[in-house]
Amino acid sequence: MENKEKQVKLPLFGLPKLWPYVRKYKTRFIWMIIAGLIYSVFDAIYPLFNRYAINHFIGDKTLDTIWFFIAAYLVITALQCATNYINVMLCAKLELYMDRDLRNNAFAHLQQVSLSYFNSHNVGYIHARVMSDTGKIGELVSWQIMDVVWWGSYLLFGIIVMMIIDVRLAIYLLVMLPIATLVIVIFNKKLLIHNRQVRELNSQITSDINEGITGVKSIKSLAIEEKINDEFHVDTDKMYKKSVKTNHHSALFVSIMTLISTMSLALVLWKGGNLTYEGLVEIGTLSIFMSYALGMLEPIQFIVNTVTRMISVGVNIERYLELMGTTGEVFDKPEVIEKYGDSFNPKYESFEELVGDVEFKDVTFKYPDGEEIILDHFNLKVNKGQSVAIVGETGAGKSTLVNLVCRFFEPTKGEVLIDGRPANDRSLKWLHSNIGYVLQTPYLFSGSVRDNLKYGKEDATDDEILSALKTVGADKMLDKLDHGLDTELGEGGDFLSTGEKQILSIARALLSDPRILILDEATSSVDSVTEHAVQEAIEALTSDRTSFIIAHRLSTVVGADTILVVSDGKIVERGNHRELMKAKGEYYSLYMRQFEELETWKSANG
Amino acid sequence: MKTRLGTISYFLKGCKRYFALAIVFVFLQVIFDLVNPKIMGYTVDYIIDDISQTPKFIIDFANNLGGRDYIMSHLWIVALAVVIIGVLSAISRYAFRMFNSLGGENLARRMRNTLFEHILKLPYKWQDINKTGDIIQRCTSDVDMIRNFIQEQLVNLCRMIATILLALYFMLRVNVILTLCACFFILVVVVYSLIFHGKVGEKFEKVDAEEGRLSSTAQENLAGVRVVRAFGREMYERKRFEEKNEVYIGHWIQMMSILAKFWTISDFVKNAQMITILALGSYLTVNDYMTAGQFVSFIAYNLMIIQPIMELGRVISDMSKSGVSIDRLNYIIKSEIELDSEDSVEFPDYGDIEFQNVSFAYDAKNVLENVNMTIKKGQTIGILGGTGSGKSTLMLLLDGLYNPSEGRITINGVDISKIKRRSLRSHIGFVLQEPYLFSRSLKNNIKIASDNASDADIDEVVETACLKQSINKFKEGFETYVGEKGVTLSGGQKQRAAIAQMLIRKPEIMIFDDSLSAVDSKTDAAIRKGLKKASKDATVIIISHRITTIMGADNIYVFDGGKIKETGNHETLIKNNGIYSKIYELQRSVQEEE
Repeated sequence: MENKEKQVKLPLFGLPKLWPYVRKYKTRFIWMIIAGLIYSVFDAIYPLFNRYAINHFIGDKTLDTIWFFIAAYLVITALQCATNYINVMLCAKLELYMDRDLRNNAFAHLQQVSLSYFNSHNVGYIHARVMSDTGKIGELVSWQIMDVVWWGSYLLFGIIVMMIIDVRLAIYLLVMLPIATLVIVIFNKKLLIHNRQVRELNSQITSDINEGITGVKSIKSLAIEEKINDEFHVDTDKMYKKSVKTNHHSALFVSIMTLISTMSLALVLWKGGNLTYEGLVEIGTLSIFMSYALGMLEPIQFIVNTVTRMISVGVNIERYLELMGTTGEVFDKPEVIEKYGDSFNPKYESFEELVGDVEFKDVTFKYPDGEEIILDHFNLKVNKGQSVAIVGETGAGKSTLVNLVCRFFEPTKGEVLIDGRPANDRSLKWLHSNIGYVLQTPYLFSGSVRDNLKYGKEDATDDEILSALKTVGADKMLDKLDHGLDTELGEGGDFLSTGEKQILSIARALLSDPRILILDEATSSVDSVTEHAVQEAIEALTSDRTSFIIAHRLSTVVGADTILVVSDGKIVERGNHRELMKAKGEYYSLYMRQFEELETWKSANG
Repeated sequence: MKTRLGTISYFLKGCKRYFALAIVFVFLQVIFDLVNPKIMGYTVDYIIDDISQTPKFIIDFANNLGGRDYIMSHLWIVALAVVIIGVLSAISRYAFRMFNSLGGENLARRMRNTLFEHILKLPYKWQDINKTGDIIQRCTSDVDMIRNFIQEQLVNLCRMIATILLALYFMLRVNVILTLCACFFILVVVVYSLIFHGKVGEKFEKVDAEEGRLSSTAQENLAGVRVVRAFGREMYERKRFEEKNEVYIGHWIQMMSILAKFWTISDFVKNAQMITILALGSYLTVNDYMTAGQFVSFIAYNLMIIQPIMELGRVISDMSKSGVSIDRLNYIIKSEIELDSEDSVEFPDYGDIEFQNVSFAYDAKNVLENVNMTIKKGQTIGILGGTGSGKSTLMLLLDGLYNPSEGRITINGVDISKIKRRSLRSHIGFVLQEPYLFSRSLKNNIKIASDNASDADIDEVVETACLKQSINKFKEGFETYVGEKGVTLSGGQKQRAAIAQMLIRKPEIMIFDDSLSAVDSKTDAAIRKGLKKASKDATVIIISHRITTIMGADNIYVFDGGKIKETGNHETLIKNNGIYSKIYELQRSVQEEE
C-alpha cells in the first residue's frame, strides 16, 4: 500500500515542466491542434445542413438545390474524414514518440543514477516510473489535450452558431450549462475518490491471490487453507460493497445528466415552439436547437472528465521528474568525464591499467538514508593480489566496505585510493570494467547460458566460456542442460537452483578477468562437494587478484591476508587468522563455536 | 460451447435476477427515450399545422384539450410531458445501472471466491506445473473480462438491439423506403466492423506481447542493477532497451494506423448514411409522402440508432474473447482437487514413521528409488545429500504434498494416504527451504496456524527460534509488517520466523528442510538446542549441507541420486569412509590446516 495515490497540484497540470520533452515535436504538436480545430468546426456545421433541408426543401417545398446540397455535404464529409485521419495519426505518433523518449530517458538515467537510489526505492516502484508514468504522460500531452481541444471547440462553435442563428433561443439553452457543469464537478470529485478506493481494494485482492498461489506450499503444510480462504472472502465482500456504492454514485450522475438534457430540450420546445408559432423563428431553426439541446451536455461531460484525469496525471509527472532529478551521491566529476568519457561513451584509450592496490584513508561513512556512522576514521591498506575477508553475523552490515570499493557509495569523509590515486579521479566505468562481482543472490538474465556468461566478456569465444565453466566445476552441470550453452534461462534464471546460479555467476566473473574481485557470500547455497570445487576455483581466481570476500562460513576465509570482523555494522577486530585466534576475541569465539561440536566429537573419540 | 454455457450459468447463480431486472429497466428506458422524439414530431406538426399523418388518438387527445390553438398557447404542457417522460427515463436508467452493477459485482465476487477456494484445494503438484503469473492473470484479468462482458456488453447488447428494433419499428411506420435505405447502411457497418475487429484483435495481442517483453527487460535490468554496474554493461543494456522500445512503438503505430483508417471509414459511412436520409427524406417530404414532423422525428430516430450500430461489431468480437476467458477459468475449475479418500482417518496416535519401498517419479524422471527408512518415535534424524538428490522430495511425500509413485509411508502403521490431509499436516511441522511469510505483522505470521495462541505461547516459540533479539531491534517489535513474502526481513530472520510459525502448533513431527542455511552456526546450534528442550518427544528430521548441524542426530541418511547411499550415526559413517566422511573431511579440512 506504499504507493497510495495522492493528489498533486502542479501549475497547468505540470505541462510547462514537460516542455523540454515536447519541444522536439513542436511542429507536430501545432499541426495536431490545428487539425483538431478544423475537425470540430466541421462537426459544428452539420446541424446547419439539417436546418437548411427543413427550412428550404420542406418549408419552401422545393428540391431546386438538392444536388448542390448533397455535393456540399459530401465534400465537407470527405474533408472532415481526411482531417480526422491526419489528426488521429499525428496525435497517436506524438503520444508514442513521447512515450518512447520518456522511457528511454528514464532508462538511460537509471543506468547512471547512484545505487543508493535502489536501496531506498524498491524495484516495483522504479519499474512503474519507467513503464506506466511515461505512458500516462504521453497520453496527457496527446489524447487528453486533443480531447479538450475537440470538445471545447465543438462547444464553442456550437454556441457561436446558435448565437448567430437565434440569440433568444441560445440564451434559454445556455442557462442549463452552469447547472450541468456544477453537477458534473460535484459528482466527478466524489467518483474520483470512490474509484481510487476501488482500485486499492482491487490491488489488495490481486495480492491475496498472489499470496494464495505463491505461498501454497506453506499454506498446505501449515494446513491453514480455511483461514486464508475466509480472509479472502472478507476482502471480496469489501470490494463488492465498495463497487456497488461507487456504481450508485455514477448511476445517479448519469441519470441526473440525462434529466438536465431533457429539461433543456423541453425548454427549447416550449419557448421555441411559441416563437415558431408566432412566426418569429423558422421551423428549421427550432429543429437545429433541439439537436443542440441534446448534444451540448456530452462535450461538457467529456471536458470535465478529461480535466479531472489531467489533474491526476500530475502525480505521475511529479514522480517521473523526481526520478529524472535524482543524481545521487556518486557521479564522475566533469574533468573526469572529459578524460575518460561517461558510462555510455567511455574513452577506453585513456583507461590506465589497474594494478590492484586499494587503500581506505581515514574513511568515515554513513549510509545516505541512515543515521548511524558505520565506519569511523577507518584505515586499511590492501596491496595488489591480497585478499580481505569480512566476517560477522547475519545481517551485520558486511557489504559496506565492498560498496565503497565499487563506488556504489562515496565515503562521507576521507577517501578510497585505487593504485594510490583517489578513486573518484578516474571514471566509474574505468573502475567497474576492472571489478568482478559475485553476488549473494546471484542474478542471471533471461537469455541463454552463453548470453549470460558473455555478460562478463562481450567477445568471449565458446572455448573461453567452456574453460571458465570447467574451472568452477560447472561443466558437469552443463551436461545436464538440454541444449548446453544454448539452454534458455528463465527470467532471473529461475530454471536453476540457487547453487547452480551462484556457480554460473562465478564463471561469469572469471571470464571478465578482473583485477579486483568481490565475492559476496558467493557460495552459501552450494553443497559441500561443489563448494569445495568452487573453493579451489576461487583460490586460483584470487591468487593474483585483489579480492574482498564476504562470508559467514568461516571455512571460506581462513586463508585471507586480512580478516575484518564486523558486529552491528562496525568493525570490531582485524588481523589474519592466526592473529585473531591468538587474540581470543570475537573471531575466536565465532570460529570455535562453529567447530565446537566437531571438537566435542573428536575428544570423545580420543 | 456447452461447457462454456455451463460454467457461466454456474457463476450466474444468485445474480440472474439482478440481470433480469436490469434488462427490464433497460427496455423501459429505451421506450421512454423513444417517446420524446414522438412528442417533438407531433408538436412540430401542430406548429406548422400539418396533421395529415398524425395518428387519430393524438388528434383526439389534442381536440379534447382544446385544439391546436389551445396547445400552441399552452406549449408548457407539452414541455411538462417531455420532462415527465425524462424523469421516468432517468429513474429507469438509475434502476438499470444499479441492478446491473449488483449483478456484475455479485458475479465477480462469486467467480473470485470460487476460483480462490478451488485453487487452495488443488494438489500441490498442480501449482508446481502451472505458472504463477498465468494463474493470477486468470483470476484477475479473465474474471474482469467475463464480468465486463456480461455486465457491460451483454446488457448493452440487449439495449442496443432493443433500441435498434424499436427505432426501426417507428421508422418503418413513418416511411418504408427511407427505413430500408437506413438499414442498408447498418448492414455495411456491421459487416465491416466485424471483419475489422477480428483483424485488430490479432494485432492487439502482438502489441501486448511486445509490451510484456519491454516491461520484463526493464524489470530485469532494475533487479540486476548491481550486476549491470559491476560488469559495466550500461551501454549494452541501454541499447537492448531502446531496441525493444522501438519495436514496441512500431507495432503500436501500425495498430493506430489500422484504427485510424477504421474510424475514418466508418465516420464516412455514417455521414454518407445521414446525407442519404436527409436528401431522400427531403424528396419524400416535398412530394408529400410524409410530413415535416415525421421527417424531424425520423432524423431523431436515425441519430439514435447510429451509435449502437457502430458498437455492435465491437461487442460481437468481444464475445469471442470472453469465450476464451471462460475456457481459461474452466481449466482451473475442472482441475481435480485434493480429496481425502472415503475411509480416511484422523492422525493416529503418533509413533514410528516408516518409508516402505518408496519411489517417486516426476516428469518420467525417477527422483526417488526404493527408499526404505524407519524413524523411531522421538528420534532426531539427519539427512545429507547434494543438490537434486531427492531429499526434499522425500519430505514433500511425508507431508502428503506429493504422493509416492510406488511403495507407502506409514505413521504408527497407518498408511498416510489414508490420513486426512489436514490432520496429517497439522501434526507435521514443516519448515521449508525457502520460507514463505504472509503480508501481515510478524505476530500474525507466527500465530497464523494457531489463532488462539496466547502471547506467552508466542514468546516461547520466538525464544526457541532465537528470534527474540531481532524482534527487539525492530522499531515496532511484534507488530512489524513483514511485507509481501516477508521482503522486509533478512533471509535468516525469515527462516527463524518460519520456525516459530511451525513451533506454535507443537507438532509431533518436525521437518527442517535446509531451513537453517541463512543463519550463522552459532544461532543454528542455539536453535537446535532449544528445540530439544522445548519438545523432548518430538521426532525431528533435519536436512542440511552442514555436517555440524546433523552430526548429533540419532541416525543420519546420506542421499545421492534418489537413493540412500549410507546410513548410521556420525561415528559409523565416519568409519565407513564413504560420501559422508569425505564431506566431513572437506568441511573439517579448514581446521586441519592450523
